Amino acid sequence: MSKVLTIALNEGRALWRNRTAIISAGLFLALSLMAILNAWDQFRFSRDLRATYQSEANATFDAQPDRHPHRMVHYGHFVFRPLNPLAAFDPGVDAFTGHMLYLEGHRQNSANFSETRQNTSLVRFGQLTPAFCLQVLAPLLLIFLGFGLIARERESGTLALSLTQGVSGTQLVLGKALCIAAVAAVILLPALITVCWLGAAAGQGMALTAAILAGYVLYLMSWAGLILLVSMHVPRAREALLTLVAAWTCLCVFVPRITPDIAAQAHPLLTQMETDIRIHKELKAMGDSHNPDDPYFSGFKQKVLRTYGVTRIEDLPVNYKGLLAVEGEKMTSDLFKTYAARNFGQQQAQTRLMDGAGWLSPLLALQRVSMTGSGTDLAAYQAFLDQGEAYRYGLVQHLNQLQATTLTYVDDTDKMRENRIDHRHWTAYPDFRYRPPAESERLRRLLPSLGVLAIWFAAVLALSQWSVLRLGRAAQ
Amino acid sequence: MNTLKFEWRLIVRSRLTLAILAVLCLLTVFAVGRGLKEVARQNAVISHLQALQKTDLSDLAKTYGPEGDAGYIAYYSFFHTYDPPSSLAFVALGQRDVLPYNLRVRALGLQAQLYEGDNFNPELALPGRFDLSFVVIYLTPLFLIVLLHDLVSHEKESGRLGLLRASPRAGIALWLRRALLRSGLAFLAVALPLIAGCLISQAPPTGIVAILALVLLYIGFWTGLCVLVASFCADSRRNALVLLSLWVAIVLIAPVATHLAITRAVPVPQGVNIVLNHRQAVHGAWEVPKALTMQRFVAYHPEWKDTPPLGKTFEWKWYFAFHHVGDQSVAADATAYRASIANRQAMARTAGYVLPSVGIQTAIERIADTDIDRYLGYQMHITDFHTALRRFYYPYIFNAAPFHEPAFSKAPRFLAKPYSGGVDIRYCIALFGLTGAIWLVGILRMRNRMS
Repeated sequence: MSKVLTIALNEGRALWRNRTAIISAGLFLALSLMAILNAWDQFRFSRDLRATYQSEANATFDAQPDRHPHRMVHYGHFVFRPLNPLAAFDPGVDAFTGHMLYLEGHRQNSANFSETRQNTSLVRFGQLTPAFCLQVLAPLLLIFLGFGLIARERESGTLALSLTQGVSGTQLVLGKALCIAAVAAVILLPALITVCWLGAAAGQGMALTAAILAGYVLYLMSWAGLILLVSMHVPRAREALLTLVAAWTCLCVFVPRITPDIAAQAHPLLTQMETDIRIHKELKAMGDSHNPDDPYFSGFKQKVLRTYGVTRIEDLPVNYKGLLAVEGEKMTSDLFKTYAARNFGQQQAQTRLMDGAGWLSPLLALQRVSMTGSGTDLAAYQAFLDQGEAYRYGLVQHLNQLQATTLTYVDDTDKMRENRIDHRHWTAYPDFRYRPPAESERLRRLLPSLGVLAIWFAAVLALSQWSVLRLGRAAQ
Repeated sequence: MNTLKFEWRLIVRSRLTLAILAVLCLLTVFAVGRGLKEVARQNAVISHLQALQKTDLSDLAKTYGPEGDAGYIAYYSFFHTYDPPSSLAFVALGQRDVLPYNLRVRALGLQAQLYEGDNFNPELALPGRFDLSFVVIYLTPLFLIVLLHDLVSHEKESGRLGLLRASPRAGIALWLRRALLRSGLAFLAVALPLIAGCLISQAPPTGIVAILALVLLYIGFWTGLCVLVASFCADSRRNALVLLSLWVAIVLIAPVATHLAITRAVPVPQGVNIVLNHRQAVHGAWEVPKALTMQRFVAYHPEWKDTPPLGKTFEWKWYFAFHHVGDQSVAADATAYRASIANRQAMARTAGYVLPSVGIQTAIERIADTDIDRYLGYQMHITDFHTALRRFYYPYIFNAAPFHEPAFSKAPRFLAKPYSGGVDIRYCIALFGLTGAIWLVGILRMRNRMS
């Protein structure tokens, strides 16, 4: 054991004396720190802004004067997507998704004003966030610091010397592994503290925070193992460096950029315009409420008359126009739901394909763990859209019901009359509250990818074990 | 000439060098193929939607034509606007995967329609696209580093350096020739598939030449850096480490840091405000005296000042009038919003004069016409079309003229915005200057060290 420690300490001392190593590690830590501070600042700004907008939107809705309820249906409401504090660590898809949703009757709008739509394409190089530092830059730093761990000793001939002087291959590799693992730990530390702090700020359970931490530890330790592995196998240090950079390019850049293309092609999405046209067409095929002879709506009329036991709509105790509005909204919303489910389903299939590519690139697996753990993934966004739609439907139907119950049919069809109802009806309606996906559900979604990372780590360990044996044999 | 032939033979014999060049060429072919395919897909989407639009509008003509109520028709008629990719878009797809290139608009308030987005999966957008600009900016420097990091040190480590320096006509020409030949081959590996792609997509010659020149300058920049590093005469391992650190700094960190600096320096006034204020103006109109709304409208459209006053019942002309007044009430906000986005892009361009990775990205996207400037132009184009649409409907609505089926074909046609990209010569000069300076220092240093 003491030999292992001695080797690790020796290696550490060598690193400490290496100016390039110290400078690059220092730069990395400075960059991480800058990323953390900036991300926190940006997060607070966005969170406060959205909260302000939401309360303003609630206030203006409540402050509307007496109106016809159908005017309020068109006036609509705005909801804003709140931000999870962990977005300061990993903003995930936040920059690419709109955060404002306009809710109105008969229509389903897209969430608008994403960061990408008001930015240059520099955003496509990646964003300087703590997650970016750990996912993309940290493996490169580890490569630069560790590519020569064993290859350099082999090159200078000290490897054979050590192995014949009573140090076993296992001890040597363990010592080196200990050193690079310690470096990885130092790299991880500031970001991990950030995750714990933000996780606590988000009030989320320990399980999710622990899952994020485990993901990053497994990821960087896999890289450390891979570096050691390559360093053991490649005869010269320079070749180890080039091999490792090639591996990094493939795992962190090539696979993640190729997979989206494949996923988009495998599960194509319907454009918004085609969706709108199709919904409009299907709606027209079902029935036209403006046409007095329309079979669907005359059937609906008969049903209503039967229910209330009257023969004329003027005799109904409720406003028939309101009932029609309720029925119409129900029909459109059913179609919205069908198409949204189809769209989300396709996107989820695309995302599953990306997750599957985690077997090829641990970065993709880590991003799943990190984004889902931070509540900034596609599912959290879709949950917002789903809840926004549910709120829209509830609000519009509430207003339609008001039209049916507070106005009479005779008044409502009188074109010369201004029909308005009391504005207190608006204040009485509850505000929108976004509920992020349940922690258990998020955990369930990220666990397979955490498993993939664990298997990556195990595979690297197993290969290392085998290589150590080979190293030992080669020395004899 | 003989010496060049000799160098060529060295390359042909080195299987590693050949393999590296072949991989680079294959990646470029792949990127060009993906780019062309994506452009073809976007064009197919546009023409599919055009066909849908046609049937949608003719259905509408059949439904509402007989009745001929222009207000209803203007209310229900959506028109397809689109922004087709340029013939050079395959080189740099830019933001086209996240910005909408199809939008339906109608003659109602535009500011409630202009910011709508299309369906896309944000998780797929996160890693960025694999297109030619990516291969050039990200990967080509890595390949050059692999090819050139042992320019001098390789000979030193194999013990030939002393011999080479002692030979007659020794000097730095050998190293420069070697560097130029290798990076020249790397350039060809990228340029040939690029030219093939341009021929397939029938790109304009100036654009092709400009992109080739940029790629050549960028490769020249990295070759210069490799020569400069080689002039320090360190061992191969150290050279590789230094060059890779430079790559991380220039390609990975610089653009990310620039993006951060720009977003912090130019806060974009929240676009949300436009939509919030617009909705307030449009829906609040029901509480505003109708005469006042008409008065405001007439200020923008004096040709309708003699329209008869409104009665007590609902009239379409008032409805369309308050939608336009709503648009006008947020016009200043909308202009400021656009201006600050354009300002961000201008800052990125300025940063590009000193940061080659940022510069070549913005320059290529400008040539390919796929950047945010193009998108802002498309929005302006939609605005112009929307104005034409309003002006087309107004006479029917204000004069209460019947709008029957033949009138449908008189509606303004949307014509795609023509190519609006261009070559920024200043950028080429800046990159040329930077490259030249690095080469100069590299050559001077090498001459001092080697001879």
